[in-house]
Amino acid sequence: MLRYIVRRVLGAIPVLFGLSVILFAFVRLLPGDPAIAILGQHATPALIQQVHQSLGLDKPIYIQYIQYINGLLHGDFGYSIINGRSVLSDFAHRFPGTVELTIGALIVAVGIGIPLGRLAARHPNGWIDGTVTVISLFGISIPIFVLGYSLVFIFAVQLHWLPAAGQLDPRIDLTPHTNMVLIDAIIDGQPAAFVDGLRHLVLPAIALGSIPLAIITRITRASVIDVSNEDYVRTARAKGLSERRVNDRHIMRNAWLPVTTIIGLEVGGLLAGAVITETVFSWNGVGSWVVDAIQDHDYFVIQSSILIFAVIFLMVNLVVDIGYAYLNPRIRYG
Amino acid sequence: MARSRLFTLLAVAGLAFSACSGAAVTQAPSSAAPAVSTAPAAGSAAPSPGASTAAGAPKEGGTLVVGLDGDMVYADPSLISDSNSSYVDAQVVQGLVGLKPGTVSDVIPVLAAAMPTVSADGKTYTFTLRTGIKFHDGTPFNAAAVKYNYDRWKNFPAGPLQDNAYYYGAVFGGFGASSNIASVDAPNDTTVIFHLKQPQSNFLISQTIQPFGIQSPAALAAGDANNPQLDKNPYAQGQGGVGKSMVGTGPFMFKEWVPNDHVTLVKNPNYWDPAGMAHLDQIVFKPFKDQTAKLQALQSGDIDFAQTVSPSDVQTIQSSGNLQVIDRGQSCNIGQISMNQDPNTKGADDPAGHKLLQNKDIRMAIAYAVNKQAYIQAFYAGLAKPADNWMPPSTQYYKPENLPTYDPTKAKQLIQQSGVPANQLTIDLYYPSDVVRPYMPDPKGLAQAIAQDLQAVGFTINLKSEGWRTGYISDEEVGKFPMWLLGWTCDWAGPDNFLLTAFFHYNGNTPSPEFAYRNDELNQTMTAALAATDPTQIQALWQKAQDLIAADMPTVPLVNSAPPGAAAKYVMGFVGAGNLTEEFNSVWLNK
Repeated sequence: MLRYIVRRVLGAIPVLFGLSVILFAFVRLLPGDPAIAILGQHATPALIQQVHQSLGLDKPIYIQYIQYINGLLHGDFGYSIINGRSVLSDFAHRFPGTVELTIGALIVAVGIGIPLGRLAARHPNGWIDGTVTVISLFGISIPIFVLGYSLVFIFAVQLHWLPAAGQLDPRIDLTPHTNMVLIDAIIDGQPAAFVDGLRHLVLPAIALGSIPLAIITRITRASVIDVSNEDYVRTARAKGLSERRVNDRHIMRNAWLPVTTIIGLEVGGLLAGAVITETVFSWNGVGSWVVDAIQDHDYFVIQSSILIFAVIFLMVNLVVDIGYAYLNPRIRYG
Repeated sequence: MARSRLFTLLAVAGLAFSACSGAAVTQAPSSAAPAVSTAPAAGSAAPSPGASTAAGAPKEGGTLVVGLDGDMVYADPSLISDSNSSYVDAQVVQGLVGLKPGTVSDVIPVLAAAMPTVSADGKTYTFTLRTGIKFHDGTPFNAAAVKYNYDRWKNFPAGPLQDNAYYYGAVFGGFGASSNIASVDAPNDTTVIFHLKQPQSNFLISQTIQPFGIQSPAALAAGDANNPQLDKNPYAQGQGGVGKSMVGTGPFMFKEWVPNDHVTLVKNPNYWDPAGMAHLDQIVFKPFKDQTAKLQALQSGDIDFAQTVSPSDVQTIQSSGNLQVIDRGQSCNIGQISMNQDPNTKGADDPAGHKLLQNKDIRMAIAYAVNKQAYIQAFYAGLAKPADNWMPPSTQYYKPENLPTYDPTKAKQLIQQSGVPANQLTIDLYYPSDVVRPYMPDPKGLAQAIAQDLQAVGFTINLKSEGWRTGYISDEEVGKFPMWLLGWTCDWAGPDNFLLTAFFHYNGNTPSPEFAYRNDELNQTMTAALAATDPTQIQALWQKAQDLIAADMPTVPLVNSAPPGAAAKYVMGFVGAGNLTEEFNSVWLNK
């Protein structure tokens, strides 16, 4: 297993190196000029040149790349050209928000998806199954921003049940320890802040969780139906085991495997979906950060933040694969 | 707005970087100034429009949550040039002079006790300061503090500090030896004397904007505010709380900034002007880059006040029972059909179109063909006025020019008079595909409406678009387009800011390539106006400049708009201004 992990980590190095080249090139191929992004209509040729010099953009591109890689190797991910903050500190500041949102979405997806899938599988092709299929098709096909704005319109604007934006009511004073509102509220012993943070989390978690929810429902349903048709399930029933015991011991235990795989794969998808969800809900995470950086032509933030995303994505996949091996003793990595 | 943002979002989701990069609502830095609503020496207070009288005496206390168009950039007002930071700074820092609340060009003394005396040669300005004022860190405000701030800006080293202190460089022609400020003297605690190298008639009005707010020298030093490595500059990053960053003299004090999440200001209980004492305990500014999200947050009660809303949402807000539209009245911007008359521009996209616009009859025909009033109803929710000049009516030295109004018949006559054959009336019209501006809330819709009007009188219009930051601005600046939509939001409401800086300046002896509009007499007149010292002469020169432009119609002014905002109905006492220089010390919550 250790050898497997080492091999995977070493294998990631050329991937990340290649990505750094592609990102570096892409960012510079973006039409437009970061100096214009900073100066706007105040841009004059002299000011543009001055900004280029300050940012080192007047140097040959290979020199810029070498400086960039050299910085990365020394833990320097660069600075925002808009607000001067270091990419790494901004990332550290905003990533917890994304983690909180992603966990919320995962809880929604798993907590609703699995029971729904089991329900549908119990009566295949019946009206319950039909309804669940329609719901999951809806979840897969509706874009996150459409669902997000619709949820806000119904539950925040019309019904006033839940807040429309942000992570916490700005009128509540909460000291940021971890930058995860719910955890900070627990640390500070502020139940009101915890409840408010939870209320803020509901709609974005549903919006972001909608696609994995739909997929988990479908996979659970298919997997449960599959396993239900296995000989050993028939045998268990023939032995006279209670339906509940058949379900828990013989069907679900085996049906779990494809479901866990898909949950693992969806974690990566959630990070991508967070980009859109965070913007719709003005959520202070790394997703909205990247969107802003691209809009602002913030070169160093774009190239470094996406590289950090890639590292996290690779790490998540590795953890999922290892976890998968533990869950399924039939799989062994050499 | 929402559309452009989602466009970007989708692109990010797919990592499809190449073709798109929508820009957000980053407005052109708007002028803003620390006005004091009830500065005793400045005359009377500016009462809120009806609200407070209708609801009785203001209630004290409470927190106001304001939805901003984007995040603050730095907590040091000297380093900002964007409208979001300015909006926050206007509550906290004050300059020697400011703007009377609710106006965009009425300059009043703020930290100065009165308007300065100016020497006959226009080079020496002597200010007498108010006494007894303390900065938010408790240190005294005095002449030495003013000198410290102006010297600090002048001596910013090349690099990040100079790059960000855009306005000092722009107003005074550069830093260090290049600055038009020769020296600032503080002979005693209450007297500050500015020695300029050359007279500069925009000196006072330009000093009303936030980057010229005076901050506590002790706090600047303690916060390492001159550290050019800005991520390690605690003052610029807003670290440490009250009295540590953005330490000014205003009715609110800076308390906290969580980047991209909120900025919190608290009431200054020791504010120097009792009549301007804040009613609110606290203001929280929350950034929303997405207009839809901001409106929904207002509708759901997450925020109390939206700095701006899209004109297309004005009707929804009006019909809502618990919200009010903020009509800012006076405009401080202009939207126009820009034109470039130089067919030899490198990379010109439509040389025949550029050439066509050299014909004055054609330009006048276009001015008669456009139905400005119809555009205002369709795209500005009626919150705009047809432009009758190249600067808005609130600007200093403004003069109505009686420009052509909608008359298609007259337009057709002018085309005939021009002698251009009907088959040569083809021209490209560009609009930005991915932004909205206060003077252009729906660029595509506006461009289509203009094209329709121009085609009705005989033109053939090819509509084209580019992304704002992905070519539009850089291409229009070098004169690539023959005709395009663009405008300007004031930095300060002086004629120089519109006619000279925004539009028709020369680089050396040649017109800026943006419009390639050569009028040497205009150039000389504007240069003379900027250097003039006698108020009557300054006014005469600027009015002559306006007449010269009007006679030539180098571009076609369309509208002056007042960007609408919105608030919950319990928000009282707000005084809006067209340049978004607005102070919240008069605001109170009726709930």
